[in-house]
Amino acid sequence: MVPHWRRPLPLLLLSLLCPSFTSAHSFENTAVVRTIDLGGSLVHVTTTYAVKALENGATVYTLALAEREHKRTSWLEAKIKGQQEILPMEAAGFDTENGVHLYSVELPQALRTNGTTNIVVETMETHATYPWPEEAGQKDGQALKHDTDLFVVSPYETNVERIKFKLPSPNAISYSTPDGLDEYTLDNPVAKSGTTITYGPFNNVPVTAEARFLKSKQKKVTVHYNYDHPVLEITKLKRTAEISHWGANLNIEDNIDLHNAGPRLKGHFSRLEHQSSTFFGRLPPHVLPSVALHLPPNICSPYFYDLIGNVSTSHLRVGHMPSEQFSLLELRPRYPLLGGWNYSFTLGWDSPLRDYAGFDKSTGKYVIGVPLMTLVPGAVVDEAELQIILPEGATDVDFFPPFPPIQSYVKTHITYLDTVGRPAVVLEYKDLTTKHAGTIYVTYKVPFSAHMKKPLAVATAFMTLFILGFAVKRIDIRIQKK
Amino acid sequence: MPLAYSVPTDLSPATVVNATSLLRIVALALISGAAIASRLFAVVNFESIIHEFDPWFNYRATRVLASEGFYEFWNWFDPTAWYPLGRVVGGTIYPGLMATSGVIYNILHALNLPVDIRNICVLLAPGFSALTAWSTYMFTKEMKNESAGLLAAAFIGIVPGYISRSVAGSYDNEAIAIFLLMFTFFLWIKALKTGSALFGTLAALFYFYMVAAWGGYAFITNMIPLHAFALILMGRFSSRLYVAYSSWYAIGTLASMQVPFVGFQPVRTSEHMAALGVFGLLQIIAFSELVRAHVSSKQFQSLLYASVIGMGILGALGIVGLTYKGWIAPWTGRFYSLWDTGYAKKYIPIIASVSEHQPTAWPSFFMDLQLLIFLFPAGVVLCFRELRDEHVFVIIYAVVASYFAGVMVRLMLTLTPCVCVCAAVAFSSVLDTYIDPVEPEAVEEDAQTAGDGAVSASSTAVSTSSGSTTTTKKGKKAAPAAHAGPLDGLVSTVSAAVSSKKGEKARGIFGGDTRLAVILNALGMLLFFVLHCTYVTSSAYSSPSVVLASTNPDGSQHIIDDFREAYYWLRQNTPETAVVMSWWDYGYQIAGMADRPTLVDNNTWNNTHIATVGKAMSSSEEVAYPILRKHDVDYVLVIFGGLLGYSGDDINKFLWMVRIAQGVWPDEIQEPNYFTAKGEYRVDDEASATMKNSLMYKMSYYRFAELFGGNQAVDRVRGQQMPRIGPTLDYLDEAFTSENWIVRIYQVKKDDLLGRDLRTANAFEQGKKRKRSKPVARRKAIV
Repeated sequence: MVPHWRRPLPLLLLSLLCPSFTSAHSFENTAVVRTIDLGGSLVHVTTTYAVKALENGATVYTLALAEREHKRTSWLEAKIKGQQEILPMEAAGFDTENGVHLYSVELPQALRTNGTTNIVVETMETHATYPWPEEAGQKDGQALKHDTDLFVVSPYETNVERIKFKLPSPNAISYSTPDGLDEYTLDNPVAKSGTTITYGPFNNVPVTAEARFLKSKQKKVTVHYNYDHPVLEITKLKRTAEISHWGANLNIEDNIDLHNAGPRLKGHFSRLEHQSSTFFGRLPPHVLPSVALHLPPNICSPYFYDLIGNVSTSHLRVGHMPSEQFSLLELRPRYPLLGGWNYSFTLGWDSPLRDYAGFDKSTGKYVIGVPLMTLVPGAVVDEAELQIILPEGATDVDFFPPFPPIQSYVKTHITYLDTVGRPAVVLEYKDLTTKHAGTIYVTYKVPFSAHMKKPLAVATAFMTLFILGFAVKRIDIRIQKK
Repeated sequence: MPLAYSVPTDLSPATVVNATSLLRIVALALISGAAIASRLFAVVNFESIIHEFDPWFNYRATRVLASEGFYEFWNWFDPTAWYPLGRVVGGTIYPGLMATSGVIYNILHALNLPVDIRNICVLLAPGFSALTAWSTYMFTKEMKNESAGLLAAAFIGIVPGYISRSVAGSYDNEAIAIFLLMFTFFLWIKALKTGSALFGTLAALFYFYMVAAWGGYAFITNMIPLHAFALILMGRFSSRLYVAYSSWYAIGTLASMQVPFVGFQPVRTSEHMAALGVFGLLQIIAFSELVRAHVSSKQFQSLLYASVIGMGILGALGIVGLTYKGWIAPWTGRFYSLWDTGYAKKYIPIIASVSEHQPTAWPSFFMDLQLLIFLFPAGVVLCFRELRDEHVFVIIYAVVASYFAGVMVRLMLTLTPCVCVCAAVAFSSVLDTYIDPVEPEAVEEDAQTAGDGAVSASSTAVSTSSGSTTTTKKGKKAAPAAHAGPLDGLVSTVSAAVSSKKGEKARGIFGGDTRLAVILNALGMLLFFVLHCTYVTSSAYSSPSVVLASTNPDGSQHIIDDFREAYYWLRQNTPETAVVMSWWDYGYQIAGMADRPTLVDNNTWNNTHIATVGKAMSSSEEVAYPILRKHDVDYVLVIFGGLLGYSGDDINKFLWMVRIAQGVWPDEIQEPNYFTAKGEYRVDDEASATMKNSLMYKMSYYRFAELFGGNQAVDRVRGQQMPRIGPTLDYLDEAFTSENWIVRIYQVKKDDLLGRDLRTANAFEQGKKRKRSKPVARRKAIV
């Protein structure tokens, strides 16, 4: 998996980064608190490291992620506690010896010996939960399980460590109580109060980012909890944004494959039961009758259809700037989405181009900002492809994504009334979450001649037709004169 | 010469010609626009969607053609239809429609107009209706003149009888076939009139297109020979007829054999023998004409008799003999059902079960044709007045098509063009007579200037098209008339009736008021015709039938989309290989929308297979289950309208399933068993046991009564009260039911893992005790 969170670092730092992390011992974690916010498809993990430097001028703090953790993580961000700036971070590669992935965080200022700071690391984990039981009847509830490693993996020693699980509802069905933790704590290693399950505090945890520890000392923890919302997954999202200067219009079209990743439906769907539970307002948690989406404001001519035509079951309330910041679309699939069911559809709308694009007089370039995706609350996007189609004849195309894509290229797209086709920027992403909602900026130049291409082409076509008609009418092609 | 109203005199002939031709073009363009626009109700009220049943197959096939290319399409074997038999699609369809859309699609894409193939399919029929209007114009022009042509074009453009088969989205063969029919007839008339082999060949080419497009091509195959034969009998044989017919038949037949589905039928089936026979007859007559030119007349007489009789007998014997030997296929059942309307019901219930194969009800003639049906006989009579060769054609066409339209609802379509042509001839004769400003020479010549202005003003609308177009014709014929100046062209009478009697006693219309009265009446009729057409089109013929519409209490439209809901559920949430069984009506829709294999579909080529489905539906669960398992059926789909009052549901079609199954298994399925003792068809408590145990009944009403929560359950279609305890299912599971319960899908259970009978297994799971086969006899106490 290619990390998305790589940020440009000054060249100077690159020299400091090497896989064998020579600077590993320059810190010590005085306290680590990890809070795991359990959800459906998304699990939000916040880890606060209270760091003490063990040597002078320590600026590069190393984060470590175990193999599974790394696979799940789709968003990683580090800040100094209480500050807004995001710290520069660079992937430091995979440590094959210990089996951990390393990331280097550059601190805003170098710490002196025994200098301390608090680093808050936020990660977004996707596909980190699974429904248990795997199958549920139509009237049953929904429960998810989350497996994770207990100890925070870190290349530094830790004095005190706590791991908290925040549940969406107060009743946990079960949670594991690991044993063999006498080394680190003498009390009961786990306690539950309200919606929080706390493991620890554990004292004097050694360096965990090493193979020996991970193999023998690391504990597996499983939390089994009720979840009252459908677990949504967008298996494929294809967004096409088409810019038209002639129409002063930005058309955005999303092709979405929606999947209910909750427990598979046991037995069969009974409309009777569905209707009665809808009537009494007690819809089971894994049934998704509709989704409310926030679309941009000032949109017009929205459409919602699937492979076999228009879907008439949706309501749109268009918001108008500046008082309202979004339009609300209540989208109802053709059928309620039960566990394990799929629904694919296309959603699109037009927006006035002036809300998105501007002209930079100093460079003579147009700048357009296209939102990366429409947020489906609580859903993970497994695969996303974003295509931005620029006007015909656009040159000097540059694009600035909010975070680097897996793959990006510029291709030619041909549509109505085109002669040579339009440049289209294509970006591919994986495992997008709510954290990834950003704007991609594209700059391009459109010379005047390119603007004139379309009317000229149409005029030429009609001219040719008329001339042909003229010629056919006037030229005598009979062989024999009567 | 007295004039009823003043006519401009200072126009040059060139101006008149140019103005009329411009007006003609504008009128035709407007008619095309009206024809297309009136067919768009379905798109405006609903959406751009393919309608009904057969169009879904055509659409699916077109998509294959557009995405895979023509040769792939040609060799397309569809394993998902008629599971497990499959269907060779390329060889069992008329590819004209798909090829047309494919060509349009490729041209548009080559021009960088990436139109969706669905939109091309949806809008193909309206587009071709504009062409039909044009070809009807050309055809009627040959019958009478341009003004009648324009009227005919306007009629066919908006007449409901044609719109019923060509609204946007009704992507069926008829969409292009009526254009081809009219254009082939026009070319045939043109070929016959000019004796031109070029037009004969063109007629043959369009005949080929027609053969490739619609099974109804047999109508042309028999109409043209019938016309030729009638002309021969009337003693109107000419070299023009010979050239036209021979070039049409030879090229047309060879071309039609290139369509795989038709193959050798043109020389091997009875339907095509008339064309062959007339072709032979024409050769004989032509030969005899040749001989007559060289032999003395007495010898010729005897020679003629001997040879004509000999050859006739020989030819007839030959055809009979070949039929007997099996070289020529006898008439098909569909053909017989055209002559005996009860035939299909007796022998081929599957044909009789289709509603559009029923005899036409009288009101539908009025609904589909309105005022044209009254003008139609008048037009036919007017054809008799001149009785040129082409008029004979229209008369024959009128007689034959009237009969067919009475026999089968769907053949109303072939009658409609002829009605439009005849009605236009009649109507334009009326207008010609009454708009013509010439007054007969009469004793009292009153100055009628008072009414003139009003007449000319009110009739401009019509006179622009009819009045002025007649002048062009007259302008062309200026030489024989020998009159000088444009005024004569304008004022000379138009209708044959009036002009022929000009020399004799003066006859005609006096005064402006009579003109005004008649013309206003005529215009009023036309206006009502337009209103009627619009009303019928929007209310009766523009429903996609895939989507149902109802009205909310506040007047807004409420869409009932159960079919697509269920089909889309199948498409998204079942394995791609899941076989769906349903009654054949829904086969094409399931294949098109759900993309799943089906057992039977609307291409009803295998009666046994359909009867098997009918048997499964009408038998009890125990009998049906092995049939379902043997056919690998995973899902069974039924349409149930009881909750909503949707009358086209499967319970109402059920008797046809029973009848068709009975045709194959008369011992196992008997229709009377499904009626109550009183002979009623009921679904409530009084329903017969066979009915209540049938799979169809159980699937339709499974858990239906529970929906009413203890109240009396009512089936709204049949207006009957359902029993409080509904049927139970042991061998099937309810898998999906759509929002308004219209579509219900059941999954067929797999065999029990413990090898038990599924009914026993079910009873065990519900905790019921198995009944002992023999009750233990209790020992009586000894007294």
